[in-house]
Parts: sequence; C-alpha cells; structure tokens
Amino acid sequence: MRFPFRLALRHLLARKTRNGLTVVAISVAVFLLCFLIAIVQGLEASVRSASATRLVTQSAVSLFVSLPISYQHKIDSVDGVYLSTKFRWFGAYYQDQENFFAQFAVDPNRFLDMYTKDIEIIEGPGGITGPEAKAAVQKAFDSDRRAAIIGIGLRDDERYGFRIGDTVPLIPLLYPRADGGAWDFVIVGYYRPLKDRIPDTTMYFRADYLNEAFESGEAYGDIAAGVYYVNTLENAPVEQVAQEIDEMFANGPQRTQTITEAAFASFFISAMGNLPLFLGTIGGAVLFSIFFSVVNTMMISGRQRIQEAGILQALGFRPITSTMLLIFEGLLISLIGGGCGIVLAVTTERPIMQMLGQSISNYHITPDLVLLAVAISSILGIVAGLAAGLPFLRYRPTEALRSFE
Amino acid sequence: MTDAFIVLEKVCKSYSRGGETLHVLDEFNLSIPESDFVALMGPSGSGKTTILNLVGGLDSCDSGLVRVAGAPVSEMSRRDLPAWRSRHVGFVFQSFNLLPVLTAHENVMLPLQLTPLSGSERRKQADFALDIVGLSGRASHRPAQLSGGEEQRVAIARAIATDPDVIIADEPTGDLDRKSADGVLEILSRLNSELGKTILMVTHDPLAAKKALRLLELDKGVLIEDRQIDEQQREGA
Repeated sequence: MRFPFRLALRHLLARKTRNGLTVVAISVAVFLLCFLIAIVQGLEASVRSASATRLVTQSAVSLFVSLPISYQHKIDSVDGVYLSTKFRWFGAYYQDQENFFAQFAVDPNRFLDMYTKDIEIIEGPGGITGPEAKAAVQKAFDSDRRAAIIGIGLRDDERYGFRIGDTVPLIPLLYPRADGGAWDFVIVGYYRPLKDRIPDTTMYFRADYLNEAFESGEAYGDIAAGVYYVNTLENAPVEQVAQEIDEMFANGPQRTQTITEAAFASFFISAMGNLPLFLGTIGGAVLFSIFFSVVNTMMISGRQRIQEAGILQALGFRPITSTMLLIFEGLLISLIGGGCGIVLAVTTERPIMQMLGQSISNYHITPDLVLLAVAISSILGIVAGLAAGLPFLRYRPTEALRSFE
Repeated sequence: MTDAFIVLEKVCKSYSRGGETLHVLDEFNLSIPESDFVALMGPSGSGKTTILNLVGGLDSCDSGLVRVAGAPVSEMSRRDLPAWRSRHVGFVFQSFNLLPVLTAHENVMLPLQLTPLSGSERRKQADFALDIVGLSGRASHRPAQLSGGEEQRVAIARAIATDPDVIIADEPTGDLDRKSADGVLEILSRLNSELGKTILMVTHDPLAAKKALRLLELDKGVLIEDRQIDEQQREGA
C-alpha cells in the first residue's frame, strides 16, 4: 500500500487550532496521569522497599502513644532478635514552616548497623569518604549528642544546602524547648539511599539528645521511644519473634503490637484512606474523558473526509488508505500531545517533589512511567483513528464522492 | 464489436431507493473505439453518469459485461479495481474534486504515488502534466487560490498525469463560465487529437458536446441518438 504521507501531514497542519487544542488536552491529561501514577507508585514504594524480616514494635493503642525506653533491652533479649533501635518522629522545621523534612530520633550506631543494605554513609566529618566514612560518623555520634546525618537530598536542595559541620537550628512543633528556642543539630555525615524508593531527604539524630533534654527540663516531652525497629536474625521465625515481643509486654505499662516493616508501611498508606484507589480512579476518569475528546476530534475529521476518500479511491488508492490516514493523524496528534505531557511531567518532577515534601517522598517520573505514557498515548491515537477511519472501508467510491460535508 | 476499446454488453444496472428498485440500464449495449471522443447527453436520470461510473470501475453492474482496453472491468473484484483505475482511467469531475490542503502540483503528484516512478520522475511527470494544461506557473497554489477554470485544468492535469487509456469527464464544464469552459474543452480536444486519449464526457451543454467526435443521446437508459460530429460542426461550436 502506498501511503500519501504528504497529504497526512498537510491535514495535520491545515487545522492548526483544532489539532493544537487536542494536543494541549492530551498533554494535560498525560501529565495528570503521570503525576497521579507517580504519587500512587510513591505511596506503594515504601511498602516495596520495606523489609519483611525487620519488625516494628509500636503501642497497641495507637501509633501516637509512645513506648517506654525500658522496653528496648527486653526486646533485645528475645530469641531471634539481632538488634533494635528507637525510632521517634521529631517534627520540626527549618526557618519557615514550608521548609519541612522528616527527622527521626534513633540510636544512631544501632541504626547504621541495621540499615547497611538500605543506606550508605558517603561522607563523614573532615571530608572522610569511602568505607571509613561510616566509622567516622559513628565516632562523631559518640562525641556530640547533637550529631545528625542527612540524606544527600537535603544537601543538594538549595532551600537547605546543609553541609557537614553546619549547626542546623530546627524549630520544634511537637517538643518545645524551655527557652522557646530552636533545637540545634550538627551535621556529621551524608547518607545515600541504596534502594530507589528510600527517601534522601531525612535527618537522623541521637534519641538520647531528646530524652536527656526532657529529663533535665531543657525541653518539654516524655522520655520515651516512638516505636522500636527490630532486626531479626537470619532464618529467625519472624512471626514468632513478633508474638513473643507482644506477649512479653501484654501486662506492661504499654501493650505492644509488633508487625513487619512492610505491614507497618502498608498501615501508613491505609491510614490515608484508600488513596491509591482514589487517585487511580481519577486517573482512569481523566484517561476516559480525553479518549472521547480525541475520538470526537478524529470523528469530525473523518466526517469531513468522506468525499476525499471517494477522490482517493477514484485515483486508485484503496479504501484502507483513508483509514490509515486517520490512524496516522490520530497517532501523531496523540504522540505529540503525550510527548508534551511527558516533558511537562519530567521537568516539573523536582518542584513537585519539593511541593509534596515528606508526605509523598518517593515521587518519581521513572523511565517505566514514561514508557507507559507513550504506550497509552499511542493506543489512544490508534483507537481514535480507527474509530473515525473504519467507516471508510464500507464506502463505495460513488457513495463517498456524492458526500458533501 | 469485440475490437472496440470500450464495450458494454447487455449491461443491467438498478438502484434501490426508498424500498423501490429503479432500473437505470436494461441490457444496454455500447461500443467505443480507441481514441474516440464521445459526448453523452440526456436528461437527468437517463443513465449517463451510471455509464461513466461503470466504465471507470467506480460502480459495478448487476449483469452484463463492461470491458475497457481489453480488461473485463465488470468481473474485477473490489480489491482489484483501485489498482486498475490508477493505471487505466483518469477522472475529471464537475466540482473538480481537488484536495484543498494540497497545492496544484501536489494534487497532480497524488495519483503518481501509485506508479513505480521515482520521486524525481514523478515530479517531472507532474510538471509535464501541468505544462500541458498551461498551469506551470500556478503549481504552488492551493485550489482556493485558483479560479474555477484553473482548478478544472489542474484536475485534468491530475487525470492525465499517469498517462491513462481513458479519460472520464463528468460534466467538466458544468461549474464554469463560457470562457473557462471553452478553455477546458480545448484541452480535452487536444488530449484526444494530439495524444490519442479516449475520452468519455457527460455534458448538458450542447456547445461542449459539439467539441466531441461523437454524440450519444440517452433517455431512460436507452440510446436514442448516436451520431458523428463533423469538422464543420466542431468548428462552429
């Protein structure tokens, strides 16, 4: 089949306004689709990156109820437990409330030993890099109770630009200081996530910095741990270990609920309601409506081309040529629109990540997502072109030539 | 009769309209030799355009035989007809039927895409066709930028671009003023006399009909007149 490419391109350029508006509509729809899918993937990523052999012990009453610090050595004594660390949400901001990132009070040396497969210390005090960086950071943690490590995202974000050696004042939202001032932290190292879905914009600092301040009356808060993260020994029966921990505290001041890290991450997502389903539904609706919009555009084009189909047949082209012209046109419009939407999604990735902040820390326009958007755009164009072009296969040349739009 | 270039033998054609069957041609016979220029006249509904469509392979007959340049057009499948049309028939329509998004040159190039010619050969052929109809200077103009007469001349250039055996013209001067119509008829006459093209033209215009070599008059699907037009009549037209 000889395909009249020039005619196809001329048709595209002949109706600039209509085709341009359709391209804009597809761009917006594809951008929205990428945005929504990236959010859903971001939410689900925390579950995927979570370890199934790491446990989280939290209060059985609520996540917002703290656990006593005395629980830690009891947890460590349970058979199958390798190591545990306190994990407490700090909730403070830098200079302005919009400059908010996650901070956790942990047992730093235990934390670094537990997360060797998840994060890597890439630089410690004095510019130490490589394998020695971790030891240097652990030493710094031991020598300064204000010591903290940050992800490279916080180093690279121009709003923060924290560097090793900087003293960073954070204004508390949950734990005010008696003098009404900020909490000071000293940056002693940078970490880099080893898994795609682990955020690089978190700060970890010493839990005893908090607890000692509460004890001395420098700040207001309870001496406690938020939750305990517990690494189990290799091949340990994880469920049994969890059960033993909970049984141990069944009659304690706080009953506990111990679940896997993955289940804990799922719990956070479900706490937001069924957000993935909600966002997926919106994405589906966007796709559905834009599909009909493109089909409508192509159908209008198709109706205006019946006579042209007759002319082409009289000249010797087969009826399928007219169908292919519309498919080509639909495909090109959709791909241009989809391409613009993808470019928009990619170029706005960083600002959107900053806008979403820690609420959805894994917002990424991945290559897979780009491919999906290209595939959706292509299918959209082909189906719209087919819907408009299939009737041409039925027309006899004389019928088509008699048609006037 | 078998040596004729265009042959219609016992051709029947009917249409269904609103539940009624309209018999347009009933065992119709016609024979046209090669390089003839035939004008078909007659009132509306007499079957003129139906004959053009059957000869051009745009429509199929209910029964009978249509043969053009030895090819049994009435026996060809719907799949084979487009390729045959592209090689053997050139169409000129009353309303020109140029594609408005293409320039005059691109319109003429369009049927050449179906030939095995290379890109440069196609461009040369299109230039030559436009030159024949005297529109080389308007090659880059779109149909909307041309007069009616010029549009029809571009349509003729498109019809002859592939060097077809037969040119089928359905009221080619119907939408034109006298002067433009004369120009178009002059070109058709030259195509017949100088290039030997067989032309089958439907017209309501007696002056246009006199430019042909032969006049056929139809009424209700029946040939009521078939006469040669002599030189004197043609010159007086």
